[in-house]
Amino acid sequence: MGGRSAFERQLKEIQQDILRLGSLVEQAVYDSVQALTKLDVAMAAQVIMGDEVVDELCREIEDKCVMIIATQQPMARDLRVAVAAIKIVLSLERMGDHCVDIARATMCLSGHPLRVKPVQYIPEMAGIAQRMVKDSLDAYVSGDVEKAGDMCAMDDDVDFIFNRIFRELIGCIKEDPANAYQSAYLLYVSRYIERIADHATNIGEAVIYLVTGERRELN
Amino acid sequence: MKFWRFFQGIGWRPVASYFFMLFLFFAILKLYAAQKISFAGAAAVTLPLAAGLAWVLYRRVIGPLNEIIAAAREIARGNLEREINITSRDEIGDLARSINDVAARLRVTIDEITAEKNRAQAILNSMADGVIAVDREARIIMVNPAAETMFGINQAGCSGKSLLEVIRNYDLDRTLHKVLAGNKPLTREIQIISPEPRIFHLHITPLNVGNQDGAVVLLRDVTERRRAEQMRSEFVANVSHELRTPLTSIRGFVETLLDSGTDDPEMTRHFLGIIASETGRLSKLVEELLYLSKVEERRVIHRWQRVEIGTLVDRVLAVCGNHAEEKEINIRANLPPRLPPLFGDPDMLAQVLINLMDNAIKYTPSGGTVTVSASVEEDEIRIDVADTGVGIPAESLPRIFERFYRVDKARSRELGGIGLGLAIVKHIIKGHGGRVEVKSAPGKGSVFSIFLPLENPSAPGGNDNA
Repeated sequence: MGGRSAFERQLKEIQQDILRLGSLVEQAVYDSVQALTKLDVAMAAQVIMGDEVVDELCREIEDKCVMIIATQQPMARDLRVAVAAIKIVLSLERMGDHCVDIARATMCLSGHPLRVKPVQYIPEMAGIAQRMVKDSLDAYVSGDVEKAGDMCAMDDDVDFIFNRIFRELIGCIKEDPANAYQSAYLLYVSRYIERIADHATNIGEAVIYLVTGERRELN
Repeated sequence: MKFWRFFQGIGWRPVASYFFMLFLFFAILKLYAAQKISFAGAAAVTLPLAAGLAWVLYRRVIGPLNEIIAAAREIARGNLEREINITSRDEIGDLARSINDVAARLRVTIDEITAEKNRAQAILNSMADGVIAVDREARIIMVNPAAETMFGINQAGCSGKSLLEVIRNYDLDRTLHKVLAGNKPLTREIQIISPEPRIFHLHITPLNVGNQDGAVVLLRDVTERRRAEQMRSEFVANVSHELRTPLTSIRGFVETLLDSGTDDPEMTRHFLGIIASETGRLSKLVEELLYLSKVEERRVIHRWQRVEIGTLVDRVLAVCGNHAEEKEINIRANLPPRLPPLFGDPDMLAQVLINLMDNAIKYTPSGGTVTVSASVEEDEIRIDVADTGVGIPAESLPRIFERFYRVDKARSRELGGIGLGLAIVKHIIKGHGGRVEVKSAPGKGSVFSIFLPLENPSAPGGNDNA
């Protein structure tokens, strides 16, 4: 009996840790996009430094999951909790890395006002990606399969905006080669945001797997 | 005396009946032993007697006791309104009365505690700050309505969940765990991005009530304050910038004159002319800044009076007419007859129209038209200043009433603009209880509309200096 309740506490702790990690990454996504739109170097630097805490927490959670699988040999849902946790942590860690990438791009872009027009779509796209990250974590908290599915549908919007940004930035470069530097970095940034949205979908899939045991491809 | 204490509280009736019954049984026993009555006879007497005794015992003791037990159970379940209807003047009656007393006392105490709790709840409900109480494991116990609206949550949905599940914020969670571990209050400023990005002043106090550990999380929304602070520092930066530009140029020309002397009268004159115009610019800037700060404090509207719109427009046209003629711009006044009067300070209202007309003329190319028109709409008077100028891009529209905001800095400065005109318009009209709206199409022109209340709005701020 004592063993079982200690085991449940460990699982609960892993869930709390994932939320903690999620809150950090959510904030990093928000901050990196804010830093980009305001070209705020100090904020970008903060995002880059904050990633260390994210990586640290990721390692910790992974260790805990491995420990639980090794020592408790969980079955059925308990096993899925541990496996889903490892998947989600991986996605969150990648998201954190993309935030750092966006922050680095911000530092390269800073110093000159952004002249290329498609930059206005980036906050819109980032807004949807942010919403997806938030919803994926909400779905994880409540074990809401429906929400996870709905969230993944938003990925199409992100892809749509990404394609538009891509086309227009290419247009900007053709129009005036002086735009190439900014356009290239903004292309990177929109690619990173698109990847963040993809990772949010992965979290959605992990939630569905965790609750139902099914593997569903959502994008 | 100990012996008597044993009898205390026992009435004479139970004692008497006890001895009487004893006597009766002995009598029957004696009669049976002496064979005065048969066994059947003794039984015939004893059995009804015993039955009678049992009946009395049941009526007087067991029945009432059962009722008391039932009542006591009900009271234990929480129904304190239950009273026991036994009024007999014996021990059973005493017991019933005592239980009734206990119930009544409990009722009063619980009422008091409930009132106390309601008062505490009312205080929590009326607080503008968000209050969240959590237990030792950081699970939510209580959320006040302010916190509910701040985060779009509700008490029923989140009690028992961990704070992290409900408000996913790393700093909040970490601070809370520090407080729970260290048992010392902590204060921080945190940003919570969901449901919308806001900055909170966070204060967490550990809670030690008996053996129930936990903490109280206090959240005060300071977003507006931070925004105001930021606007103030931006304003200071803008003012410094605006002051520095003419000063740099004045200083440059003065130094040139000092270095190269005043031998060439033509060049000297040219330089002095530039210095004079820059000085004029500086003093205009300072004047407008002072005027704006006065208007912002709403202290100067003390000349409330009737203002005829026709007279007002004539006065404004007299000021702006020359400028318009120079630029070959048509000015049209389109005023219907018999307009009701405005209420307000005539000089300030004229200033509003002058600023709007000035802008309209400035941004309209030669050959264009600027039209002033007025109309009555429900309980408001509307004055429009329309031009056929360059227009304002849509993304700039929400910002044009900000101090020092300019759509195109270079062009505005070239035209002699300081960036305060529309800010002054906004504040004067606000001081008069009205509002300003703007519609614009780039390349086609803009329409600025002033709405002023038809009735005298009891002179807001007008009584201060009276």
